Amino acid sequence: MSELTHIVKQMIQDKKDVVRSIFFGFLAGITAVGLFAANGYLISQAALEPPLYVLIAMVAVVKIGSFIRALSRYAERYYSHRATFTMLSNLRVYFYEKIEQIGPALFQKHRSGDLLSRIVGDVESLQNFFLRVLYPPIVMALVFLSTMIFVSFYSMAIVLCLLVGLLLTAVIIPAWFSKRQKKASSQILEERSRLSIDVAEWFYGFRELTIHQKRKEKEQDLVSSSNRYIKEQEQAGIQSISYQSINMAVSLLVSWLVLAVGAFLVASGELNGLFLAMLVMISFIVFEQLVPMALFPIHYEESERAASRLYSVADNKQLTQARLVKQDQDLNLNEGKAPSVHLKDISFAFVGDSRNTLSDISVSFPAGSKTAIVGPSGSGKSTLLKLILKQYEAKGEIFFGTTPLKQLDQEMLWEKAKVILQENHFFYGTVKDNLLLSDPNLTEDQLQQLLIDVQLPYLKLNDLVLEKGQNLSGGEKQRLAMARALAKKGQLWLLDEPTSSLDSSTEQCLYDLFFNQAKEDTVILVSHRFVGLEKMDQIIVIDQGRLVEVGSYSKLMRSKGYFYQLKQIEDSILQ
Amino acid sequence: MKSLQKLASLERGRYYALYVIAMVLGIVVISQAYLIVTIVDDLFLNKQTFDQIVPLLFVLLGVLILRASLSYLSGKLGVKMAARVKAKYRERLLDAYGNHSLLASAKGQVGSKMSVMLDAVDELDSFFSKYVPQRIITTVVPLMILLVVFSQHVYSGLIILLTAPFIPMFMAIVGNMTQRKSEEKLDSLKAFSGRFLDTIQGLESLKLYGRSKHFKDTIQKSSENFRDTTMGILKVAFTSSLMLEFISMLSIGLVALELGLRLVVFNEITFFTAFFILLLVPEFFNSLKELGSAFHSGRSSSGAAEKIEKELKQEVKGQQWGTRTLVKPVAVKLNNLEYFYESSDFRLLGIQSDLPAIGQVAIVGKSGSGKTTLLNVIAGLLQPTSGDVMVNESKLYEYKEQDWFSQIGYITQHPYLFTGTIAENISLGVSATKEEIEKASNQAGLTELIATLPNGDNTTIGEGGRGLSGGEKQRVALARAFLKKPSVVLFDEPTTGLDLKTEQYLHESIQKLTKTSLVITVAHRVQTIKGADHILLLDQGKLVGEGTHNELLATSEYYRTLFNLQGKEERQ
Repeated sequence: MSELTHIVKQMIQDKKDVVRSIFFGFLAGITAVGLFAANGYLISQAALEPPLYVLIAMVAVVKIGSFIRALSRYAERYYSHRATFTMLSNLRVYFYEKIEQIGPALFQKHRSGDLLSRIVGDVESLQNFFLRVLYPPIVMALVFLSTMIFVSFYSMAIVLCLLVGLLLTAVIIPAWFSKRQKKASSQILEERSRLSIDVAEWFYGFRELTIHQKRKEKEQDLVSSSNRYIKEQEQAGIQSISYQSINMAVSLLVSWLVLAVGAFLVASGELNGLFLAMLVMISFIVFEQLVPMALFPIHYEESERAASRLYSVADNKQLTQARLVKQDQDLNLNEGKAPSVHLKDISFAFVGDSRNTLSDISVSFPAGSKTAIVGPSGSGKSTLLKLILKQYEAKGEIFFGTTPLKQLDQEMLWEKAKVILQENHFFYGTVKDNLLLSDPNLTEDQLQQLLIDVQLPYLKLNDLVLEKGQNLSGGEKQRLAMARALAKKGQLWLLDEPTSSLDSSTEQCLYDLFFNQAKEDTVILVSHRFVGLEKMDQIIVIDQGRLVEVGSYSKLMRSKGYFYQLKQIEDSILQ
Repeated sequence: MKSLQKLASLERGRYYALYVIAMVLGIVVISQAYLIVTIVDDLFLNKQTFDQIVPLLFVLLGVLILRASLSYLSGKLGVKMAARVKAKYRERLLDAYGNHSLLASAKGQVGSKMSVMLDAVDELDSFFSKYVPQRIITTVVPLMILLVVFSQHVYSGLIILLTAPFIPMFMAIVGNMTQRKSEEKLDSLKAFSGRFLDTIQGLESLKLYGRSKHFKDTIQKSSENFRDTTMGILKVAFTSSLMLEFISMLSIGLVALELGLRLVVFNEITFFTAFFILLLVPEFFNSLKELGSAFHSGRSSSGAAEKIEKELKQEVKGQQWGTRTLVKPVAVKLNNLEYFYESSDFRLLGIQSDLPAIGQVAIVGKSGSGKTTLLNVIAGLLQPTSGDVMVNESKLYEYKEQDWFSQIGYITQHPYLFTGTIAENISLGVSATKEEIEKASNQAGLTELIATLPNGDNTTIGEGGRGLSGGEKQRVALARAFLKKPSVVLFDEPTTGLDLKTEQYLHESIQKLTKTSLVITVAHRVQTIKGADHILLLDQGKLVGEGTHNELLATSEYYRTLFNLQGKEERQ
């Protein structure tokens, strides 16, 4: 419910179209009633042979009325739909913003197919909220009220009939449906989501599924979730038809009652027979407009669920917490000055993990220094980088210069760091599109030179990159990521095994290029190899989340500790 | 529209049932008007008493209830038809997307394809649930009404007959516009879905580059674009119903005027006839108008159908596998293999080699030299443009697909994890006991990781579960291979992202595999390949050398430059 209120608020931002929809809806409704009334009256009057001018005047009124009706129906539809689709479009962007703020942590809770289904399907199903739930009752109430006032000039008994009919078709029956609807609550949205998840997984896991011969099985799953979804749609379809038919039957009954009561009144002389046709026609038209109210409960339920599903993604307090601090602390990340980074008593455990991934790490990265973090895989090296990037919140304190990381805005920090992760995402588009991520102002020549620098001379800027860079080899992706990082502004490099998929000669070229560029900058390089570490100012050795050794290459080799042993193992393998 | 029409008429039983319903409905509509007119006429002009009309009132009641039930029945039939057709289409799409090679499945954005599978198929609904039932009703009911009107008063019938043809004519014009517009709409929805999914997958990179704001604009634009195309369609729909309204108003007005004049001025017809016709004419046009809006949604369905058909045609037919049974051991021969990518200039040219049935084969070369492509071709995931992968002296594709893939293990650089437990991810495709899974995860070096997890190997991983690091994902994929015990194991740079201890450990495990299987490794580290029985050296898509490590060292300058550098450094 509270989610729907939020959506109402979103709607009301665009008040004009809402008011227009209601106004034209009322106009269309009331002229339709007037039109039918006039027709009925006209034909009865004609039978009594009145003067011709009365007829002509009446015909003229009917003509004008029907033009007004057609035009205002058009206007009502136009404005109400425009209001609705503007709202949907705003909602999509709103949720994208929310999702964007939560960031990658989102995938610990939601699957991508699910997210897509929410932002497309659930938002789509909210379209009925305004069109079928919010404004039609208002319009209907207005039309009905006016009609009853008009009818009250002729017969209170018939007003009573209409009132009973209104209560039945617009209140009591929908309420009864609503009760039923809650019980047999439809699972359409959930089934759609399940299907969407299955389809996404089938596409993303296509290769693995093929090789492990699970594809047929997965396809079976997919088909059966498609069938369940269709079944739900079918049930919902039949249900709404049955609701509509029931309401139609009831409203026809009421019109019948109006006819019967009217007939009785005419027979008993309490009502002029001249008006009987008119009143019957009024009753038919006014209830015809009420039939859609049968679907009110279905649409209301659906909107409510769609809204709450949407907001459950966006309002994840735990996940957004990291983003709450936003202060304009720009002190140590000024252009042209490499930052220093200090870690003090850092401990970190993933949610739900019993063991710490990192324990009691205290270490400093002076401005302009080059540091390598080494250790076995799974020892927490990458996690350490992610803590510095403020992707997770750790116990202990991290400082940039003298500013605590807690006071720095994550986004600002990221804008100024040059980062290469183990897995770098590439977007569907051209090589150029993917390079321009770092700086949209680069010229074609600069970009081409960049490609040559990172040993990708054979790539053209307009070459197509498939989703997730699927048409690039691992090495090509790493070189493109390097190009992207080189082009970016910033004085802090955070590199997570940036060359692990490259052959040694290419690797060497890239390192030469990189050290040349990063002379003045602060560099933190994660590596599980010891090649080329001689050049580093300091080496930090981590094992099982604990700091084992810190020092320069020569110092560590001299002390013959853990690093020395690892180096021995590597040498023995390489020999 | 024609193909959908054909599908609809395939549902013969429901189709005929709809015609029967329409005919009964026609009778009901006419009787309803007749009864109301009789009652009013009797009371108003014939001055009958209430008691005299009571029987008529009850007949009318029955007729009204029948009308509501008929509308329920025809609606229900339509919904059922729609359900059948949607299921069929979705299966055909799945077939088409699934039935082709790896490359085609990677083409285009996943989100866009999902949009076709979900949204475009859903869009078919209204053709069957709305258009078909309404069309049948509209072919039957107005005809019956027209007959009755003619029988009552020829001139009114003529007026209707003159104005009515404007309606289908107008509908045809509008219909074409709708179809085109609705294709546009689905296109922009497809584009939106594609962009959205791609964007959220790459959210981390975007934020790192401070570009998520820019992508927000892109999302906003494609979302607004979607809104505008939707409004475009709706505007056409609204205009068409406005026009229909005008035409029907004109016609009803003319009829009313003509009736009035004859009734008042010329005294040629009775009140009964005039009122009867006046009630029937709106029913006539209502039926046409409803067809108008149903036609509109029918058209946008056929826009969707066209989209789907296009997608079905576009997807290249996949490789047909044969019926031959594969027997172990498996000997692989590469017979003049060539592979051309459509999207780039890269080509794999004339690869010719005999691989041993058991042992380790390494594929080396600079990054971008075609190693992974060759591996995919050998795996049967990419179909060679020309030449053949020969398995036991027969072409690979003569074997049963199932036989081949049950003998293949493939460890990629970025294995995909399915949402499920670690155990499920390891046993993928193989029925295995808990002990077997434990053994496999031990061989792959996963035991330590599993021990730290709260639920052990029952911990959920993949999207919606615990995230794993790159090296951990690879080890899960390795465990899959150990469990499956295939004849051919393909490794794509197996030790990327692994530390030396683990690598050494794995090295031993891989050595174990080479005793019983053919292990083909793409590698760039000299230590991985030193022990290989056979090395294929690739440069720019060509095989430039093969042999053992020592042979290549002696004969190939390119090989030496590729690895010499590393050798020097390691000695420092």
